[in-house]
Amino acid sequence: MTRVDQFESVFRSAARTVFEPKSIEIESVLVVCDRDGSNAEEFAARSRSFLDVLDKRENLHWTTVQGGEFRTVPDLLDRVETAHPGLICTHRHLHSESWRWPYTLGEYVDVLTQATTTPVLVIPHPERPEFQQLAGRRPRAVMAMTNHLTGDHRLVNYAAHFTEPEGRLLLGHVEDDADFERYMEAISKISTINTDMARAEIHARLLKDPEDYINSCREGLARSAPGLTVEAMVTSGHHIRTYRRLIEEHEVDLLVMNTKDEDQLAMHGLAYSLAIELRAIPLLML
Amino acid sequence: MTSALLVPTYPSLAAPALQGAAQVPAHEVSLAVTLLFAALLVGMILCLAFEEKLHAQKSLIVGLFAVVTLLAGAVLLPLPYGPYLIGEQEIALPVYIPAIDWGVITIILGASLFVDVTSRSGLFTWIAIWLTKTSRGDPRRLLWYYGFMTVAFSAVLNNVTAMIIVGSLSAVSLAKLERSDKLLGFLLVEGLLTNVGGLLTLISSVPNIIVGTAAGISFVAFFIKAAPFVLFVTIATLLLGARIFEIRGLATPEETEEAARLVEGFDERDGIESRGFFWFGAVMLVLFIVAIATASVTPYVQDLGMGFIALAFAAVMLIRYKHECDEFYRTVDWDLLAFFAALFVVISVMEHAQVLAFIGRGVEALIALGPRAGTAAVLLSSAAFSSVTDNIPLAAMLAKIVAGIPVPGGGVHPPGDPLWWAVIFGANLGGNLTPIGSASTLVAVTIMHKHNVPLSFVAFVRKAFPFAALHLALAVGYVLIGT
Repeated sequence: MTRVDQFESVFRSAARTVFEPKSIEIESVLVVCDRDGSNAEEFAARSRSFLDVLDKRENLHWTTVQGGEFRTVPDLLDRVETAHPGLICTHRHLHSESWRWPYTLGEYVDVLTQATTTPVLVIPHPERPEFQQLAGRRPRAVMAMTNHLTGDHRLVNYAAHFTEPEGRLLLGHVEDDADFERYMEAISKISTINTDMARAEIHARLLKDPEDYINSCREGLARSAPGLTVEAMVTSGHHIRTYRRLIEEHEVDLLVMNTKDEDQLAMHGLAYSLAIELRAIPLLML
Repeated sequence: MTSALLVPTYPSLAAPALQGAAQVPAHEVSLAVTLLFAALLVGMILCLAFEEKLHAQKSLIVGLFAVVTLLAGAVLLPLPYGPYLIGEQEIALPVYIPAIDWGVITIILGASLFVDVTSRSGLFTWIAIWLTKTSRGDPRRLLWYYGFMTVAFSAVLNNVTAMIIVGSLSAVSLAKLERSDKLLGFLLVEGLLTNVGGLLTLISSVPNIIVGTAAGISFVAFFIKAAPFVLFVTIATLLLGARIFEIRGLATPEETEEAARLVEGFDERDGIESRGFFWFGAVMLVLFIVAIATASVTPYVQDLGMGFIALAFAAVMLIRYKHECDEFYRTVDWDLLAFFAALFVVISVMEHAQVLAFIGRGVEALIALGPRAGTAAVLLSSAAFSSVTDNIPLAAMLAKIVAGIPVPGGGVHPPGDPLWWAVIFGANLGGNLTPIGSASTLVAVTIMHKHNVPLSFVAFVRKAFPFAALHLALAVGYVLIGT
């Protein structure tokens, strides 16, 4: 019955996942920082200026939670629940000096990204020079990043929504070489599978699906956001190193990533690794 | 069918079967010997019926019986060893070589190679996906489109290939439409329709080739006779299928919009490697059908036969893959070809052992019921036999028997005789009664199991019976119109 499988493969290959454009509605933004007074206002202003594209589009309602208004994680979660915002805008290492080291996001952001369903925009820490540069920065080059892009309509819709109307939307999909090589090693020990053919075919197929999906995103967004340039960043390599290279090469202004995983409570490995390392650019964590 | 085994000085290996059968001389064979060979024949049929239980392929089963019958024949029968007179030349051949109907073998070999290479062009998947998109995901429309596609593919390809293409597409597209609960109904209807579509042309199924060739029915005559029946039965089957399996159209605008969006994701160009080869494949397919249809009237080609056409078209198509022809040779169903070759040998020995004449007397008794009742009895008994065993040996055996039965006023049954059609319709449609009745229904059941839609033997019979009964009732009525 191998021919049944052959034809099913042909038809499955032809059944592509088509991008579903969906409008994102954000009515209010909750800015959270660990500063008070003018410093908190400056943080809110920088954040607002960076998100000018949203402000113009939707006339957002902005609220700021200053450092003195919360001292514990439950305090902050209560404030979020009360405000019920469409977006939380904050920085890493709230009430902590650990921002100097790229090892965590800080307990507040860790919990915020997992305990609420609200997207969290993580702005560079106010003590870092990139925060000062944020004044003139706009999300002109936005990268949506995942290790499985195909069918992730929400990620693409959010990334498109946060991109300037004439900006570049970079859709990234990096197949991890380490995983691929592990499977190839197993295949190389199975005598009934042609290893060279499997390597070439599987590699091509893994990259083709996201490329097809990005093409459908391009077609879909051409109707809803005609000024946007959609670029495909589909490749294989080491996840973290490749994304870091792509972000630098394309001078990405905002990185959009998924941080919630149905199968685990904590943020999944790739997103967390990137989030703690990439301290210089804003991150939108869905 | 060539009968050089019985006529060592046969004028031509390509001579029509009818002529060969008419020339079969009667041998003095004792009843005990005939019964011994009849027992071997029954044993072979039983082994084929329990092929799945034996875990052995058809070619080996029939091959072993060919070895045993040939050995027994060498000991107990006066087998006509060569040399054989072909044209003006005497040629020494092993006795089992001229026993094989090479016309049938070359048609199957050439056509399967041609279809395999043509399917690489993406033509068949393009048609299948284009129809899926055209349906806009409406399940009832999809059933009708897939139903007619099954019939069309069964007519052009072989039934098994048609079932594999349409069945696998049904599984994928219904999953995409989130309607996998309808998969059983789709696959069952498609499986049954492969056997209906297999009636459409002379080359649509092996029993057609065997009986049609033996009866001297031309491609065009076959199509003209079979097409109205196939069309009518297809419509009836689809109406009944939609009713029994509750396959309805989409009710609300939201459902319609969602289904259309889901099938829009299919890209019919996905399987096309080269647009040039795609169009070449499409043109060659049309030319192949035209060439086969006109084979009996095209000068020179009529002498070379349909097998030549099939092999010639396969050779032309293989030019595209000239460096990798062996890949296609590997995909040829050698089990099927070896099965045929061995089967022809067995049938030849059986003919020589007077087993066919013995069974023929039973068939004659059926025919003696009268032109109407006799023809209906032959059709229904053919269907009953082909529902539990392979219809190919049945067709091969009945073709020989009917060819050998004299008609009042002398001669043999003419090509338009309802008796031939009773065998053709019965052998094809009988496969719809059980899951083991035909290879294509077996494929349908296998796809069901692959997708966790198990259907037991009894459940299949229960679900398929209304369809099979309808098909056979209509077939009897249709064949009797010609009496």
